[in-house]
Amino acid sequence: MDAKLDMFEDVNTSPSPSLEGDMSIPGKRTTTTTAQNGVPDYNTLDEPIRETVLRDIRAVGVKFYHVLYPKEKSSLLRDWDLWGPLVLCTFMATILQGSSSADSMSDNGPEFAQVFVIVWIGAAIVTLNSKLLGGNISFFQSVCVLGYCLTPVAISLIVCRIILLSAQTRLLFFLRFVTTTMGFAWATYASFIFLGQSQPPHRKPLAVYPIFLFFFIISWLVLSHN
Amino acid sequence: METPTADDLLQFRDYSSTSATNSGAPAQINVNSPTHASGGGGGGIGSGFGGAGGHSSAQRQRGDPLADLIYDMSTSAQAMAGGGANNAQNAALDGSGSGGGGGSGGARLSFLTIEYYQQFFNVDTYMVLERIANSMIPKRASGNYLRMNIGENPDLYGPFWITVTLIFSIAISGNIASYLHHASDGYHWHYNFHLVSYAATCIFLYANILPAILWALFKYSLKPVNEADAVETDSATYTPTLLSLMCIYGYSLAIYIPVSILWVINISLLQWLLVITAALLSGTVLIAVLTPALRNSQFSLFLIIGILSAHVVLAAGFMLYFFHNPPDSPVAYMPLPTAPSVLKDVTQAAAKAVLPGNQTH
Repeated sequence: MDAKLDMFEDVNTSPSPSLEGDMSIPGKRTTTTTAQNGVPDYNTLDEPIRETVLRDIRAVGVKFYHVLYPKEKSSLLRDWDLWGPLVLCTFMATILQGSSSADSMSDNGPEFAQVFVIVWIGAAIVTLNSKLLGGNISFFQSVCVLGYCLTPVAISLIVCRIILLSAQTRLLFFLRFVTTTMGFAWATYASFIFLGQSQPPHRKPLAVYPIFLFFFIISWLVLSHN
Repeated sequence: METPTADDLLQFRDYSSTSATNSGAPAQINVNSPTHASGGGGGGIGSGFGGAGGHSSAQRQRGDPLADLIYDMSTSAQAMAGGGANNAQNAALDGSGSGGGGGSGGARLSFLTIEYYQQFFNVDTYMVLERIANSMIPKRASGNYLRMNIGENPDLYGPFWITVTLIFSIAISGNIASYLHHASDGYHWHYNFHLVSYAATCIFLYANILPAILWALFKYSLKPVNEADAVETDSATYTPTLLSLMCIYGYSLAIYIPVSILWVINISLLQWLLVITAALLSGTVLIAVLTPALRNSQFSLFLIIGILSAHVVLAAGFMLYFFHNPPDSPVAYMPLPTAPSVLKDVTQAAAKAVLPGNQTH
């Protein structure tokens, strides 16, 4: 008696009981990959790095755009990320750092680490403050918004740096002052638009004041850099 | 509900009344105050005070004496009635009671949660502004301000942000002052970031260590109370909590923020005038607010002198170190001074300041 286990196999089509198939996920297939022969074609989660990086860069770019023209606020809050704040903070800290190399009495400005600490710890403290006052926003969403709202301040830093290339006069100082003030006002306004709704009603000024102070200090660092 | 028989009526038994009527509970004080009446007397009070911890629109005004009295009486009545008879009213107070219990500190929150620290930030905008105004204008606060207003609701928002603002306003104004001082020299002015660190150290030490010292002194220098004077014992043994003292000291620094901006004007006489005015104003407020606690201390005179002199020394120290630029000494660019040299510089600057004719451009 031959006890055969019938596994619903069509005996005609599969010559051997071994299992073989394709490990690709049915559905989307990336057509831009140039897969070699014999290398399996992974897609979606294992797409080429260029796709992944471009997708993230596009998301960061969209957020920068929304900060500069603050009309639609959900994208910054919904998909927060900290790439933008990191790039901005590193850029500003690099430019703002005082050089201790040339002579001992030259630019005694903040060190790179001091600017870094001011931005990140400052954003953390401002967020903590708004949470302690009863705001309903998550920690990283708020840090994300504050970091992205540094964009106008960074732009004013670039403009000031360009102005500093020529010899200084009172007019140029006044120009730097106006640029820095505009950057500061723009940053505060943008962050108020994004974070305004999440504060409890009787305490809105209490929560907005630290944001104002945070951008004021960073704008001061930008203005006094020479 | 069963109809009570004659035997039942003759027995002293607690009926489990329905949630609609709270009259079955014996020791309940049912006060229908118009501000808090919403859906039943007991439930009204519960919901009125349940919102104390949060930011609902039914938040009672602290400091309103009638509301305080009602609150005190109802909470003491609930405490006396105990658990058994309160089952009915507990059902009515259920939703709001837990909020009220948490708001009044009944629930024991772990210090690792954020809700624990939220109780120190339980202030609205107008309260913060009130407290700042009370710290600058003497006699504006009521007599029991320390105990009733600050003691009940000490906040850490005001002290923390006032000290941070003061640090940065002193650092920024100090840099502006040194820039203006050297503008005509053709000196290549550079920003001195160290000022922020020094200012921060000074102010945080003052705003934190001094209240701690004061708290310890108050606690351990209580005048021995004559037990026969039972009427006075409550206020005679009052010492302020550490948080109240830190709150008071934090707010008392608020006056130095506009003053530090005015210190940029490099006229020596004006600078000293500002020091004296600011120290006098906020020193007077400090003494006035701390009077109920000072009365109970054995070293009251010593403490008063100590508080006032610390305040004056702080103000004078700020002015001399950060803002006082006499024309013949380059005082603003010391890179990392040690304590003895700072002391020497401060005393030298003070000696120069008392000489007449110390006018700059």
